[in-house]
Amino acid sequence: MGNGIQSIHPFVMFFYYICLGFFAMFFNHPVVLLAGCLSLIAVNLAHGSGRALKQWAPMMMVMALLIILINPFINSRGTHIFFYFRGKQVTLEATLYGIVTSMSLLMILLLFISLNAVLNGNKILYIFSRILPKTAFLVMLSIRFVPLLKRRLTEIQDVQRLRGMTIRQGSIRNRAKSGMSIMQILLAWSLEEAIETADSMKARGYGMVKRSPYIPYRFTKMDRNRLVCLFLLFNLSVVGGFLGYGKIIIYPMLGTLHFYPLDWVVLTSSLAVMLFPVFVEGREQLKWNYSD
Amino acid sequence: MELFRLNEVTFSFPDADQNVLQDISLTVHEGEFVVIGGGSGSGKTTLLKLLKKELAPTGNLKGSIQFKGKQIQDWEERTLIEQVGYVFQDPDNQIVMDEVMQEIVFGLENLGYSNFEMRKRVAEMAHFFGVEDLLMEKPSELSGGQKQLLNLLSVLLMKPRVLLLDEPTSQLDPVAAKELILMLERLNKETGMTIVLVEHRLEELYAMADRVVFIEQGRLLYNGSSRQVIDEIYQDQAIRLFPYLPAFARLYMEFESQPLRESIPLTVKECKQWLGGDETVGGNAANLHEEREDRPVLLEMEDVHYQYKKKASFVLKNFQLTIRKGDFFALVGGNGSGKTTALRASIGGVKPQRGKISYGGRDIRKMKDSEWHGKIAYLPQNPRTYFVHQTIEDEMIRIGDRLHLSDTKMRMDKLLDAFGISHLRSRHPYDCSGGEMQKAALACILMGQPEMLFIDEPTKGMDPISKQQLGELLTQLQRQGLTIFMVTHDIGFAAQYAKRCAMMFDGEIAADGTPHELFKGNYFYTTAINRATRETKQPEVLTYEEAVGSWSVHATI
Repeated sequence: MGNGIQSIHPFVMFFYYICLGFFAMFFNHPVVLLAGCLSLIAVNLAHGSGRALKQWAPMMMVMALLIILINPFINSRGTHIFFYFRGKQVTLEATLYGIVTSMSLLMILLLFISLNAVLNGNKILYIFSRILPKTAFLVMLSIRFVPLLKRRLTEIQDVQRLRGMTIRQGSIRNRAKSGMSIMQILLAWSLEEAIETADSMKARGYGMVKRSPYIPYRFTKMDRNRLVCLFLLFNLSVVGGFLGYGKIIIYPMLGTLHFYPLDWVVLTSSLAVMLFPVFVEGREQLKWNYSD
Repeated sequence: MELFRLNEVTFSFPDADQNVLQDISLTVHEGEFVVIGGGSGSGKTTLLKLLKKELAPTGNLKGSIQFKGKQIQDWEERTLIEQVGYVFQDPDNQIVMDEVMQEIVFGLENLGYSNFEMRKRVAEMAHFFGVEDLLMEKPSELSGGQKQLLNLLSVLLMKPRVLLLDEPTSQLDPVAAKELILMLERLNKETGMTIVLVEHRLEELYAMADRVVFIEQGRLLYNGSSRQVIDEIYQDQAIRLFPYLPAFARLYMEFESQPLRESIPLTVKECKQWLGGDETVGGNAANLHEEREDRPVLLEMEDVHYQYKKKASFVLKNFQLTIRKGDFFALVGGNGSGKTTALRASIGGVKPQRGKISYGGRDIRKMKDSEWHGKIAYLPQNPRTYFVHQTIEDEMIRIGDRLHLSDTKMRMDKLLDAFGISHLRSRHPYDCSGGEMQKAALACILMGQPEMLFIDEPTKGMDPISKQQLGELLTQLQRQGLTIFMVTHDIGFAAQYAKRCAMMFDGEIAADGTPHELFKGNYFYTTAINRATRETKQPEVLTYEEAVGSWSVHATI
């Protein structure tokens, strides 16, 4: 099951991602959001998704820049006016709003990159099997068929190509016709084979009594402690947020960006939540380095 | 203790006038290893399915089937699901889940077992099977043998009293098949598991089985210990069943002047002991004869390299192959040796990264698909992939139209007659048996009078009689001038029918020659009969037919 972040119980990690998604939409103080983005980058690096990060980086940059550049020109609310563009005012508020929006979007994207790597197929299914057991089971069944159908399709294509039915050459009409025939064979063949799959399920008692899902992940004491910590810190941050800390007023008139002592409390507690996987991974690394 | 007791069971499918099973009485005792043999369509699979209540086909059942002394209908559903395990033929179709671990516990989950019990059973069985490192894999990434082992494991976790297996090795290569059978033997010997196995590849099974049962056309013909059944078949001179018997036993019964039931050899070891270890004059194996090189080259592959993914290892490397007009060439090799990839490369199914493939002197990359059409024929492993239309006749007529033939009807009749499938012409291809479907596909393919035929694993899942028919058919076609390129792992088949063989290893052709040059003297990569006849008083042979031809003297033994 892996070490460090991968060994954390899927529920804990799921809760972590929910917290972060909430933060990204709840707080709008640029400092908090910046902290969120940076910590998610750190988290991604900690569980080794550096490469995925690199892949997505250009896209994310372009998106953020576009939002920051376009928002002030289409949104003219606010009172601090920079200049007029074609008779419309370009305001400081709208610019800041663009920055804040793009940062919270970035945070969500980064979150999904991490989620994709940590909660891979089976863990996600496991989480949903508790909530929607039948749907999760159906999804599992369908996923299983994808590689099978793919293999059969190449097999059919090989055979039919030498019979003159190809989707690689010839007129579009003929290609479409061949494609249809190939799909027809795939369907007929797969349906026929699926009878045996159904038999195999029946032979192993599918649908007899209520299924008891096998739980491959153990919820350890450590997981419980982590969940409690996350929960408390999350609540602290959210309560702070409702009191107005970690947030700024943008419209109709920009409020202060000043950081009050209680803002620091909110920032620290939310940062602790956001960096939680890094702590876990870091602790693991330290153990490897300083123990024998 | 009696586990199953069948009392005059007669079974017919609805709307069918013929009985699939006729008056079958059979008992299976606890701890027995029973092998049920018979050709395809003999009703052996139906018999096996009747023993598993959930899979029992609907139809007319007369007679009674008892499990542990109680009618099978009277048992509680759950008990039967747990106590009777069933493994199917095709390793792929039975797998339901997307992860090995999930698949293994599928049955336990269905029956609502606690997590404690599931963990306990998985831990124990995964260890016994040595599959700990596969638990997190995806089933699609396993080999055929591993998949079948997974199927067996997922059934065994339910702790069955009896294991029913329907041709579990028919889709596997010989090495994987042997592994599975050894696993079954181990289960039988170490845990006393009762095993009922339906199979027509019986050679190795005779030595393991406590009892062999022969079914033909729904009737139980023979039922007894391996040696007893062999002896009885020979006494009755039931020639049509001879191909189902192990080659050693056939040699013994044929050449031994006074055959004794107790000393019929069933293993290589016993056969060697019977033949006597005195070596005849050796050296005849290395009798290399010059090949005639005057026929024109049809297919040439030079320095072909291929890899599926950029960073994956090469499946083909430095692959060299020349096939001349009129060859019957067989490429043999284990799973993953790249032989199917080589075939696919030669018909343009995969594009090699390096190297040149030419057909009739022209680079195939420069040929259009339409130029291939009709000249080259490809008989796939699974003939189902071939048929598009509703009936076999329809299929052939459409091919005629496509190729603009003027004598479609005549050619069709001739082919159907030659293959002996005229009676199937208006049937849907999927309603034919595997062997029939293959013949139909071959007939369709030959409509275009191709120059060259590519065949992939033609003997997979075939009973010995169909195999023999196919071999004779191919030989006949080759004599008429067809060039054949066959990929197979059935060494016996290649040895008997191919004129030239090559062994593939690690992406290259390791050796190339006549079947005799290639297979004689190998330890594993040869037929069982060759292993048994090596270094004995009799000349070394590859096949039973060869022995009958070359061992003239009965009296020497």
